[in-house]
Amino acid sequence: MLEVDRIQVAYGAATALWDVSIRIAAGELVCVVGPNGAGKTTLINAIAGLNPIAAGTLAMDGRNLNRLPHNQFCDQGIAIVPEGRRLFTGLTVRENLELGSYRRSARTQRRQSLDRVYSIFPVLRERPDAPAGTLSGGQQQMLAIGRALMAQPRLLLLDEPSLGLAPSVVLEMFKVVREINGGGVAVLLVEQNVAMALELAARAYVLEEGRIVAEGAPSELLAQPHIRRAYLGDAADS
Amino acid sequence: MRISVPGWIGVAGLAFAAVPFLELPAFYETFMYLVFHWIVLATSWNILSGYSGYFSFGHGAFFGAGIYTTATLAGSYGVPFLWTLPAAALVSALFGMGIGAVVFRVGQLRGELFALITLAVTFVLATIVLNTRIDGGQGVNLGGVALPAILSSPSSTFYVLALAMMLATLWIAYGIYRSKLGTGLFAIHDDEDVAEVMGVPTFRYKLLAFGVSCGLAGVAGGIHALFVSYVTVGETFSILVPITVVLMSVLGGTRHWLGPAVGATVITGLLYAFTAGDYAVAGRAALGFILIVVILFLPEGLLGRFIPRLQGRRRSAAMPAAAPAAPAPRRGVTATLLEVHGVSKAFSGVQALDGVTLQVRRGEILGLVGPNGSGKSTLINVVSGHYRSNDGRVVFEGRDLGGLAAHRIARSGIARTYQIPRPFAHLSVLQNVALPAMFGHAALDRAAAEREARHWLEFTGLAAKADALPEDLNLHQRKFLELARALASHSNLLLLDEVLSGLTPAEIDHAIRTVRAIRDRGATIVFVEHVMRAVMELADRIVVLNYGRVIAEGGPKEVMGRPEVVTAYLGKPQTGKPHA
Amino acid sequence: MTLPSLTLLGQSLLSGIFIGALYGLLGLGLSLSWGLLRQINLAHFALAFLGAYLTYQLASVGGMDPLLTLAIVAPCFFAFGVLMHWLLARFSISPFNSLLVSFGLTVIVESMIQWIWTADYRRLESAYGGMKFKIGTLYLPVPEMITLATAVALSLLTWAALRYTDLGKAMRAASEDAPIAAAFGVNERVLSLILSGYAAALAGVAGLCLALSFTLAPSQIYVWIGVVFAAVMIGGLGNPIGPLVAGVVIGVSEALTMALTAPTWAPLVSFSLLIAVLLVRR
Repeated sequence: MLEVDRIQVAYGAATALWDVSIRIAAGELVCVVGPNGAGKTTLINAIAGLNPIAAGTLAMDGRNLNRLPHNQFCDQGIAIVPEGRRLFTGLTVRENLELGSYRRSARTQRRQSLDRVYSIFPVLRERPDAPAGTLSGGQQQMLAIGRALMAQPRLLLLDEPSLGLAPSVVLEMFKVVREINGGGVAVLLVEQNVAMALELAARAYVLEEGRIVAEGAPSELLAQPHIRRAYLGDAADS
Repeated sequence: MRISVPGWIGVAGLAFAAVPFLELPAFYETFMYLVFHWIVLATSWNILSGYSGYFSFGHGAFFGAGIYTTATLAGSYGVPFLWTLPAAALVSALFGMGIGAVVFRVGQLRGELFALITLAVTFVLATIVLNTRIDGGQGVNLGGVALPAILSSPSSTFYVLALAMMLATLWIAYGIYRSKLGTGLFAIHDDEDVAEVMGVPTFRYKLLAFGVSCGLAGVAGGIHALFVSYVTVGETFSILVPITVVLMSVLGGTRHWLGPAVGATVITGLLYAFTAGDYAVAGRAALGFILIVVILFLPEGLLGRFIPRLQGRRRSAAMPAAAPAAPAPRRGVTATLLEVHGVSKAFSGVQALDGVTLQVRRGEILGLVGPNGSGKSTLINVVSGHYRSNDGRVVFEGRDLGGLAAHRIARSGIARTYQIPRPFAHLSVLQNVALPAMFGHAALDRAAAEREARHWLEFTGLAAKADALPEDLNLHQRKFLELARALASHSNLLLLDEVLSGLTPAEIDHAIRTVRAIRDRGATIVFVEHVMRAVMELADRIVVLNYGRVIAEGGPKEVMGRPEVVTAYLGKPQTGKPHA
Repeated sequence: MTLPSLTLLGQSLLSGIFIGALYGLLGLGLSLSWGLLRQINLAHFALAFLGAYLTYQLASVGGMDPLLTLAIVAPCFFAFGVLMHWLLARFSISPFNSLLVSFGLTVIVESMIQWIWTADYRRLESAYGGMKFKIGTLYLPVPEMITLATAVALSLLTWAALRYTDLGKAMRAASEDAPIAAAFGVNERVLSLILSGYAAALAGVAGLCLALSFTLAPSQIYVWIGVVFAAVMIGGLGNPIGPLVAGVVIGVSEALTMALTAPTWAPLVSFSLLIAVLLVRR
């Protein structure tokens, strides 16, 4: 469904991604792990249309998205839960959700989508008129995911959703992600919490310094010293 | 014989001073008076607004304050004309500094706010003047005031007065441009927060520049009051003065001391072509139109476009070759350089730091690590004075840093780099590095600071790029520019924020060697890093943060092997799923 | 100082409310473009006066009912606002430089007004001018009532649109985080064009109210800048109700100051209020 072929993306003056290729089939749950500064956020932002692609192709169902205007990526069925949530803090909880379904075809389904999101995240139903900025970290993350779900995506992009959250909340959230994927939505998850991410994913990529250095099933990857070394340095091996 | 710039100004002054003796018709002297008059107004405006970027739309208010000071003192109280001029300078300067004292402390929107408030001030002052005895509505007639007979005719006298004023203003503008104050103002223009953290006393400098700017405008007003001899509120406080002054400076180039003079000459000439007869209105429209065109197509002004780095090049050629710098001074004997006690910091609901306590020992390299969002950068921001902590204390060399302005913290010997480099975009690489040497702990004078800067540029391998602008550097070079800036301040404590992120492996090796060399020269280093290889190789000790709390401390290998640290980085897997 | 009569105080209060409503109406467009588009548009004032002069021309010389002139002026101004924003967007200039450009534009428009209509005072004599209501001992002139009604209606309407319509929510979202809004389908460029047009049309409406109640002169443009900006800043950028409330507060303060002391100290009031708010908010 999603084909990223040898893309090169810049971050400011420097090149952040070199020759990166990944693919995600419909309904798959794929993970990208790697140390900080590896380019994970740049990759997700490129797929969401937030970063322009300097070389290579980005295609959805065979359709090349390279030259597509930024505000039309959503219509392709791609929705993003950005790093740091990036909620519209000036808007209320409900307004953030409604904005998630701004695109034409999602707007008609707004009522149903809202019900669905509320059933997944009951806490959002309690304070629909609260400004989004007043929610706790965990609730904000749920709102951000809910906002993306309102767009009725076929591919959900999650950028470091566990950032700044207490471990118990992270557990809850990953359970929800599994549920969403179970409902048929493909998920691309970028995460720092490597152990949990690898438990969720069917397949994973390891990104280091802008390049894909490994790909495969989580059990294979964890067996390799790659991941431990990338995150912890040589000490962890001993 | 090399004539310095002030010398050239003097020579030009002498040449112009000869003009009255040519016995030209009064019209020429009057025209020159106007040119000099506008040069004074535009150049004085530029001292604050052009150099620091705080555009004032109210130069007319301070000009008007000067006019009415002279009008009142000379007209109503019979004070001799020349004595009213210092009074006019004082009144305008104090008035401006009063406004600045309130507005310059505001944090957000300061540029726009300053522009609008100065615009509003003009009309408030006009109202006050109109409604009190100062003017009262019918204007002030100064026909009876005696003009000192400096030269034979009134037009010649005004010519000479304006000439003297122009020379004084140009000298002052040039002097500030070359001085520490000027460098500080230009740094404020590019990035006020960084300038403050590097030791520039931003509030004081802005206030000072504003005072000088208003004072000069006041004197110009005083002279002009007698020139027009019938002063009215409408003419004095019209919108023409602010917009003309802005346009002249922007056209000539706001970043150069001579820019406004160039613009003033051009515009006065143009305006003259319009003032005859019906075209006065068209002339005003032309001013507005030219302003728009200049902003859109020539934002750096005539001088900025055609003489981009002339000064920079000339200056560096005159500099002697770099002399080796003194090593970082060791001050005091305390083994603990920095103590952080229970520091907490929250941002709208997110607790970035939660009771962080740690010590940094003199001469060590301390690695500060932790997952994303653990608070590492926030800690650096608090120690360097970018943020104020909600709770806890930071003690540096035995002195509590609580409540100190960031520039004072820099002065006391702490320097930092930024994870995303924030160089001063319009200063050359050399000037970027010289600034912390001037304003930071080292507190050198300009010549010594530039020598010092050259030394550190060589140390970091940037010597060839000394005269380039930061935008010409690649990421690696910009990171090293950050490093050079931190080093040039001779600080005892260096806070390095992710210096290595985004670098290639070879560049990382080079950076590691450099950091080691810096420590060997006597500096103490705290560095935040994600590149584990570098942390392992460099750090004497590391501190691990997670969710804003310190979770481990000790030798690198030992700490990174501890289970709680591994968990913090890799996460705890859910039960039930075994992995190899 | 003799205390004025209750009637005088009451009438002062009313005139303060009326002038405050006009401050609010002038400030509405300004607040929208400053708060949502990050552009400080000084030319808003010149545009309002241009609208006033056009109303004057169409009504006095053309014989139209002043209120009907809006049917011509508002759409033209909307188009003008869209055009201006579209042109300026092609040059990526900083928000501060857009302030400078608007400064230049102000002077151009003002000069144009002076060239066409000269610096002589112009007064629109309309049927509404003479009409007034009477409640007890207090007079409520119709032009001022029209201004008050228009200001309240438009402020509420804008507030409701921003609050409840999809377009309004999208505008608020885009002004806070344009890239993420785009990631959800919001076309920020089109939205800002619409907003610019709307702000310009609001200037035209304010112009109508100006023409109904005031004598026009080109130099008067600058008189309003300080007060209205104070109302916008005190009311909060981007808040549609803010300028109206702040404007009325300022207007009433001015009116009471005028009634209790000398009549001509009014401009000082708004300035002092602004400085006070700045000091407190710090």
